[in-house]
Formats: sequence, C-alpha cells, structure tokens
Amino acid sequence: MKWSAAGGIALSLSRFAGAQTPSFLDRETLPGQGVAHPSAGRVDGVAKVTGAKLYASDFRAVDLPGWPSDTHHALLLRAPDATHVYEGLALDGLAADARPQVVVTAEEVARIGVRVPAFYEGDLFCPIGKTPLYLGQPVALLLFATFDAYDRARVFLRDNAHLRFGAETGPVAGGNYGAFRFTRVAGASPEAPDVYSPIQEGWIRPGFFEGSGRPVWEPLPVAEGGDYVKGARFGEQIRAELDKPGAGTLVLDRRFETQSIDPMFLEPETGLAWYEPGAKKLEILLGVQSPFEAAEALAHLLGEAAADFRPARIDAQFCYVGGGFGGRDHTPFPLYMALAALFFPGKPVRLAHDRFQQFQGGIKRHAFKMRSRIGIDRASGLMTAFAADHELDGGGLANYSPSVAVVGATAAIGMYDVPKVDVTTVALHSRGVTAGSMRGYGTLQTMTALEVLVDEAAAALPIDPIELRRRNALKVGGRTMTGNPYSVSVRAPEILDKLDAHAIWRDRAAQKARARPGVLVGTGVACASKDYGTGADCSLGSVSIDAEGRIAIHSDAVEMGNGIGTALANRVAGHLGGRADAVTVAQVDVFDELELIKSGDPYSITQEEQDKAAANPRWVPEISSATSASIGAHVGTHAAAEAARVLFRFGLWPAALAIWGIAAHDPRAKQHAEAYWQGETLVMSGLSPLPLKAIAAKLHAMGGVTGAMAHAFSRWAWAQATFDIGGDEWTADIDALALRRGAGGFERLDRRAVAFPPADYNRIGTSFSSMCGTVVRIEIERATGKLTIAKAYSVLECGQALVPEIVLGQSQGGFAMGVGYALLENLPLYEDGPGNGQWNLGRYVVARASDLPLHDLEVEILPPLSPREPPKGMAEVVMIPVVPALINAICDATGHRFQSLPVTPEMIKGVLA
Amino acid sequence: MTALSLTINGRAIGPIEVRDDLSMNDFLREVLGMTGTKFGCGAAQCLSCAVIVDEDGVSSTRPTCIAPAVDFDGLSIRTVEGHAAGGALTPLQVSFIEHFAFQCGYCTPGFLNEGQVLLERLARDPIPRAELERTITEALDGHLCRCSGYVKYHEAVRAVVLADAGRYLT
Repeated sequence: MKWSAAGGIALSLSRFAGAQTPSFLDRETLPGQGVAHPSAGRVDGVAKVTGAKLYASDFRAVDLPGWPSDTHHALLLRAPDATHVYEGLALDGLAADARPQVVVTAEEVARIGVRVPAFYEGDLFCPIGKTPLYLGQPVALLLFATFDAYDRARVFLRDNAHLRFGAETGPVAGGNYGAFRFTRVAGASPEAPDVYSPIQEGWIRPGFFEGSGRPVWEPLPVAEGGDYVKGARFGEQIRAELDKPGAGTLVLDRRFETQSIDPMFLEPETGLAWYEPGAKKLEILLGVQSPFEAAEALAHLLGEAAADFRPARIDAQFCYVGGGFGGRDHTPFPLYMALAALFFPGKPVRLAHDRFQQFQGGIKRHAFKMRSRIGIDRASGLMTAFAADHELDGGGLANYSPSVAVVGATAAIGMYDVPKVDVTTVALHSRGVTAGSMRGYGTLQTMTALEVLVDEAAAALPIDPIELRRRNALKVGGRTMTGNPYSVSVRAPEILDKLDAHAIWRDRAAQKARARPGVLVGTGVACASKDYGTGADCSLGSVSIDAEGRIAIHSDAVEMGNGIGTALANRVAGHLGGRADAVTVAQVDVFDELELIKSGDPYSITQEEQDKAAANPRWVPEISSATSASIGAHVGTHAAAEAARVLFRFGLWPAALAIWGIAAHDPRAKQHAEAYWQGETLVMSGLSPLPLKAIAAKLHAMGGVTGAMAHAFSRWAWAQATFDIGGDEWTADIDALALRRGAGGFERLDRRAVAFPPADYNRIGTSFSSMCGTVVRIEIERATGKLTIAKAYSVLECGQALVPEIVLGQSQGGFAMGVGYALLENLPLYEDGPGNGQWNLGRYVVARASDLPLHDLEVEILPPLSPREPPKGMAEVVMIPVVPALINAICDATGHRFQSLPVTPEMIKGVLA
Repeated sequence: MTALSLTINGRAIGPIEVRDDLSMNDFLREVLGMTGTKFGCGAAQCLSCAVIVDEDGVSSTRPTCIAPAVDFDGLSIRTVEGHAAGGALTPLQVSFIEHFAFQCGYCTPGFLNEGQVLLERLARDPIPRAELERTITEALDGHLCRCSGYVKYHEAVRAVVLADAGRYLT
C-alpha cells in the first residue's frame, strides 16, 4: 500500500504467486474455497475445526511461496533484574549444538542506527553497564540455524544463570507517563450550562511533580495543558465539601486496589520474517490487533538504518489472532521480529514466545490504587459529589498508560449522574513489566471500586442497592464527567428493572435463609457503562460481486475471535442479500486505490489544521485503527457496510431495473429504498422477485458498478462526504470512495464536500457507551472459604447485534474473565512477578469451566431500541459488572467488604475466623 | 537420537530420527509441519496441545507440550487434522461451528479431541441422561479457553449426545 513512505521505505503487503502452495492470502481468506459448510456458524468455523493454518504461529518459511524453505529461529533473552547493573551475557555453558550463530545486543542495534518509535521510547535492549529499565527488558536476541539448537538453548537459558548483574543501583527512576485532572461542576439544573467542565475549558494537567513522579495536585500558579488553576480550584472546593459534609449527607471515603494480570491469550506472540538483502525487501508475518501501526512502526525503526539494514520495501502480512483482549494492540514484539530477520539476512527467521516468555514480556493490565469519596443526600438518595485519586502502575514503558489513565478516570462515576466530580489520575513509571491495553482499559478497575462503594452506600443509607442506582442513573441527554452527553442510547432504567425483577435478586433473602449448614449464601449486583471507540476510529472496507453473484469482502479489521469476519458477512448481506463467499480481514494493502494520505495527530489536530488538510480530497485524519476498544461491530464493519450500500444503489439496483424493464424516468426507478431481500432474492412490490445471481449477471453484462471501496473516520461522530456517482449525488458516513465497474479495477472518486467531526470533539471523554448489569448468587464454604457461583444473570444492551450468537459468546467469555479477575488471577508487580521469567500457567490461575455456573449463567441481550439503532461496542462492558457483583455478593454472605483483588478463599476464610 | 515411528490419523509415519528431548508438540509442528495441534503453555496446563491416543481399542487424550516425542513411539494418534474424513466434518465439528462454540479458535483442537474421546467413551459405555452435564464438565475441565466462557463448547458436545441419545445415553 502506498499509505506511507516512512523513512523512504515502501510499505506494502504483497500477494504471493505460488502455484502449488496456497498463498498466504488464500489461506487467510474465509470461508474458504469450495469447502462444504454448515448452514450456520462463523465464517471461519471450518478452518478452525480442521486445524487449517491461520495463526502467525502456524506458519513456517516452507508454507510461504517464494520463500527459502528452511526456517531459522530467534530467542529473545530478557532481564529478570531491574535493580542491578547489567554486565552481559555468558553463553559459555551452552553446548556446542545449542550455540547461536548470531548474537544481537544493544551494541549491534546501536551500530546500525535504528530509531525507536516514540510509542515504544526506551532502549530496545539494555546496554551493558546500565540497569535494565524494567523487569523483562530484552538484553539479547540469539539467532539459530536450526530448531534443535534453538530449542536446546531456550530450555538451558531459562533459569537466567547466563545473565550477569553487578552493583545494586535500585530501580531506574522515571517521570510519570501522564497526569490529568477531570473536574466538573454542573449548573443549577440539568438544562443549565455547566459551571465548569473539561469540554468547556479543556483538559488540565498539573504543572509540578515530586521526585517520585507523583504530581502536586494543589493548584499552584503554574500549569500546562489548559487552565489548571481554575479547574483545580473547583476540584478542591468539591473535596472541601466532602471533608465537612452536613448532617444530611452521607460521605464514604474508601481505598481500593486492583492487581496486575496477564491477558493470557492462548497463542503466544509469534512472528516470521525474511530479509532478502539483494532485493532489500523485508517480508514479515505477524498476528497483532494493530496491523497498520505495526507496519508503520517497522518503517520508522528502520527508516534511517545503515544501508545493509535498511529495507527498500517492507511487505507486512497479518494473520488471524489466537486471542487478543488488547494485549496485542501496540506491542513492541514486531520490532524484535524485524531485527531478527535483518541480523540474519537471507534466512527466514521465526521468533516465538513460549509461555514463560509471554508472561515475562507481554503487555499487562495496570494495577490501580484508588481513593474514592462519595457524597449522597440521605433524604433523596441522590449523589451530590464524587472525588477520586487514581495511581496506576504503568511498568517500564509508557505504551498506552496515559490513555488508560484518562479512560479509567473518566469512567470513575460509571453510569451515574453526579453534579460535582473531581478525579485526579497519574500513570506512574515503574520497573514492572510494561502495562498497556487490556479489555476494560482502566474502567474495569475504577468501576469496580465505584460499584463496591455504591453498594456500601446503599447499605449505609439504607436504600435498596438497585433503587439507589436507579435514582442516580444518567438519563439520556444527561452529561458525563467531561460535560458532554452520550450521543447514543442510554438504557440504564431498563437494565436496572431487569436486574430488579430477576429471580436471583428477588429470592436473595429466601436463598440466604435456606443456606445449608456450613455454607454462607450471598447475592450481589453491579452495573457498568463502558465507552467504546477511541475518538479517532477508522474503517477500511471493500465489497465486490462477480457475475455469478459471489460476494467478496476485504476489511482492515482484525479477527481475534471477535467474529468480525462473520459480522462483516452478515452486515453486508443485509444490503446485498447474499452472504459473502470470501471475507478477508486484517488487510491494509488492498485499499491502494483510495490513495489516502494523512498528516498530523487526529487527537491533537487544530480545527485550522484540519480544515486546511481536508481540502485535499485524499486526506483523512487517520487511515487505519487497531481492532480494540470494542469497535469491531460499530467501526470495523462500517466501511464495508457503506460500500455495500453503494454497490446496491449504483450497481445491483440499476441492473434490477434493467431486468424489470423500468426506465430511468419511471418513478419506481427512484424507489430503491422500498426493495428488500428475502434470502438471495430481491423483492419489490408489484414486480417479479429477482435472484441475486441473475442481477449480478446483468450487472456485469451492463458494465455497471460491481465493487465499492470506502474509508470512514469517527471522532465520536462519523465524517460525512458527498460524491458524484454517475450524475447522482451520494452523501454518506464515509470520507473516501472508489468504485469498480464491470471487471475493471477500482477507481477513486474525489469527494465533492466533506465534514470531519470538529477538532474540539477531542475534549470529549467518550460519547459512545453501552451498559450491562450483573447479579450473582454465591455460596461460600465456611470452613475453607471456597466460593462457588451458584447462579448468575447479565443483561446488556448493544444496539443491533450483528451476530447475536457471538455477542452471547463474548458475554459468556467476559463473565469468565471477570470471575478470574475477581477471584483468581494475580501477578506480583516486581521481582516475584512475571518479569523474572519463571511464570507459567499452573502458577497463574485463570477461570476453568468448573469455576463457572455453566448451566446457570443467563445472559439477556436487549433488542435495539429501533431497527435503525446501529451496533454498539460490547466486548468489554460484559466483563466489568461481574467483578463488583462478586465482591458485593461476598459482602452479603460474609459481612466483609473486600477492598482489593483478587479475593481468594484464604482471604475469605480469614475474615470468617 | 531415537528412531520414531507412529501412526498419525491413520497414516504410518517414520522411522524418523529425533532428539530424545524433542517434545511431541515440536515433533508435530516443527518436524512434520502439522500445526493444527497448538502450543499454549508448555506446562500441560491449557491442553490446547492435546491429541488423541488410541491404545488397545480405548482412546484418551494426552498433552504433547511436555511429553517427549519418543514416548509416542509405536502409538496411534489422532490430531485435529484427522477428524474430517474425506472432507466431511464429524458431527462434533459441525456442532462446534453451529453452536459458535469457539471464538479465536486456538483452543479448539484440544476441545475437539477431548469431546471426541468423550463421545467414543459414551458410545462404549452409555450414561444416564441425568449425568450428562456433569460428565461433560468433568471431561472438558482440563482445557482452557480464554474467549468463550466454555458454555457453548459444553452445549455443542451435549447437542451431539442428545441428537443420538440412543447411542450415548442409557
């Protein structure tokens, strides 16, 4: 694709022309070629139950046409110590048949002149003589000619004895990764403008920091990022009110801590790469959630490298992903994969984490320390004020820490309408393994603390926990912490009514009374309102149809289990009647014809810069997004759906008119919106139904529009553009369009007008949100503290569910991950944690089927409010309320309200003693 | 080095000289290129690497990630690649797809093998209907899935049993 010439390196994804071996793209294109499929199910179903090569870890050089057949192997060694000077690597003990052919260290990497992308700022390898920046920082890359040598070395080197460390220095000090303050003071009535809000005044950051990196939050008269002093004074007023509440106000002041955990996707990070020095071409195959970013990061890394290490071209190919959960979004792994290939020129190299290495080097969930204060009017039960302070441990590299801090902070009041809010947050550097994106993205932590606090407040007032939530739930049009309303449906009352009416909740007292001897029974409830989207979300999609009526879809969204391929097929089928015969995901090279260019940062661009740039019809604020932030349904399928709309309106519909013999001046020619599909047959009242296949044949015979390719961009609203298509004006939620006619290629259409969402929308914390509530009943064995989930019910709303079975499956999976987070999973942050390279499953415990109420877990998905309600993000929200609901249930059973995670049987037994 | 011979999905393999400490998982994936069997943990904890071993007319699953390949010498095994005979999916494969049992699918080979072993056991020794859910849970419990919450895997196995109750249930 021509989307970047970063460092002068052409980035693309080439198609292989192998005759015998299927090309990479053929393998990854599903539902596949001529395989009989069940009538229902995922489009990738057959491949996944037959063991087809799909994932990055499945491919070897021999599988890729045009590559040399032998695969070589790379081993990334990481530091288990971040408090002593690294003194080097001693490989003397390695047997002769386990020796690497090449050893790459900081010295070699410095010599070739790589540039570390800003997002991964920090030494790629710890140099000799320095203390590692963090536990798990790479120190060397060993390259082996054979698998056997690699395998022997991998096992031999696991105990870290080969790494030499000297004098103790203590951890390397580092500044914080980001500090923000979100303060809002509402007006006198819901309709009145806010007295102060981030959307009005801009986001603010403190100007002073202690040596530890912690901010000084007191409003000193120096600031950055806006008028800190003004906002902080409002914030301090809120805190002063909470410090000295009147008799009519209940104030609770609590601390809550959450732990670090691992995403524990089942496929460890893996890549395969080949640098062909003659052609100066780097081919690389990866499995990430952010393919476009990974390719750009590689181009930046090598853009100014020494001549022998600087590819003229990088062909990046992206695979299906064996689980992601955020942990493969912006991971540094691809950088090491590329270096392995460059230092082993001419030889295909495979870099594959084993599970120890994945624990040691993979992105983690942030551990949070939170102090939260809430004020509630005793008479009305209305929340009057909320103040909180968050500290999150970002580990050794910044990664997404500033963003996680922001998202966690702006979610700190959950689904509630609170007129006075003041939340500070700081993401701290530490010597821990780098933390970044993971399902929930800070909100899991802050909403767990909130929902446990709200439950305690309900008991203290006392008001029924669901009734307290109902009185305070944000209504449609109500303002969030940043001062803007959600621009999507808000369905808290329905969720609460469903929870209230459910038998688990209704029967809680009776069930408690009926507890068996030696068993405690408790019921807990909690809710969550989770943002989806990032404020700069993109979608690339193309849809085409051949003369036989076969539909092919390409998308840049990544399939990591989220069912995006199936969702694409279903959403496109709504416009074209037929379910696609080929769906190819994680593609960033097949949209060349759009000729997109970008400039600036979509999150910080000014309105003037945006207006100027947008004059170029090829300019967009961002080209491709990571598949994360629950955007799969809402964003990931959007461009393909819009392309399908164009294909129907300007391709299939004119062909159908031609078959019916309806002339252009006939009023029916304009009634395309009245036609609908029944399966693969187009039905129009008063006319003969037409099979898709016949329409497609006519379309191709006419040389009409047989394909459409689109790009879309959302900053809490879609960019809109107008195009001239064959003399008709077409306005849609896209900003770039190309069309294919007959059997020709795609040709770009210049947009005639475009409206990008205002740059000011970057002050919005979030405008899109989905809600979910959970109620659980648990049983605790008094003698052991063993907890069993007896029954559970979750209710969620996600607009239009594109594939209801997948929404249900994600909800069930979110429930399981929530159980693991609440009760099982835990990683020590530092020397005893995963950075020491000694962690694996067994020691790290995730939820198994026997930990869950498999046959007593009910999930209800509310139908969309309107057939026009678009899909909303739901992959994260379903996990969140499970956690506080369990903690609240434990309190109901034991009388003890735990304020840290995970809650283990030993802890429960301890409070029962 | 040891000469290893075994039968995989009905096909005789070997003799092939392998290192004595080469894992069965690496033998399948690196030596034979059969990557349908996955590597998850290397500690026999997730069982995404499990294959079916057929011995004396009885089938069982066995993790391959910590077992030396030479331990499989002379054995007959089945992997995910061997279930669909002649391109026709087995009832369990179809049920997995129709029930949306998996999401990322990385754990699917292990669940498929375990589920198939269970079906074959039930065909030999049918159980009462009342024991079905518990039996499925016990059979599949060693397998980790991070995406699905397990519910649909269990429903998919149960559906195959109930669709042919006369065969699997007393």
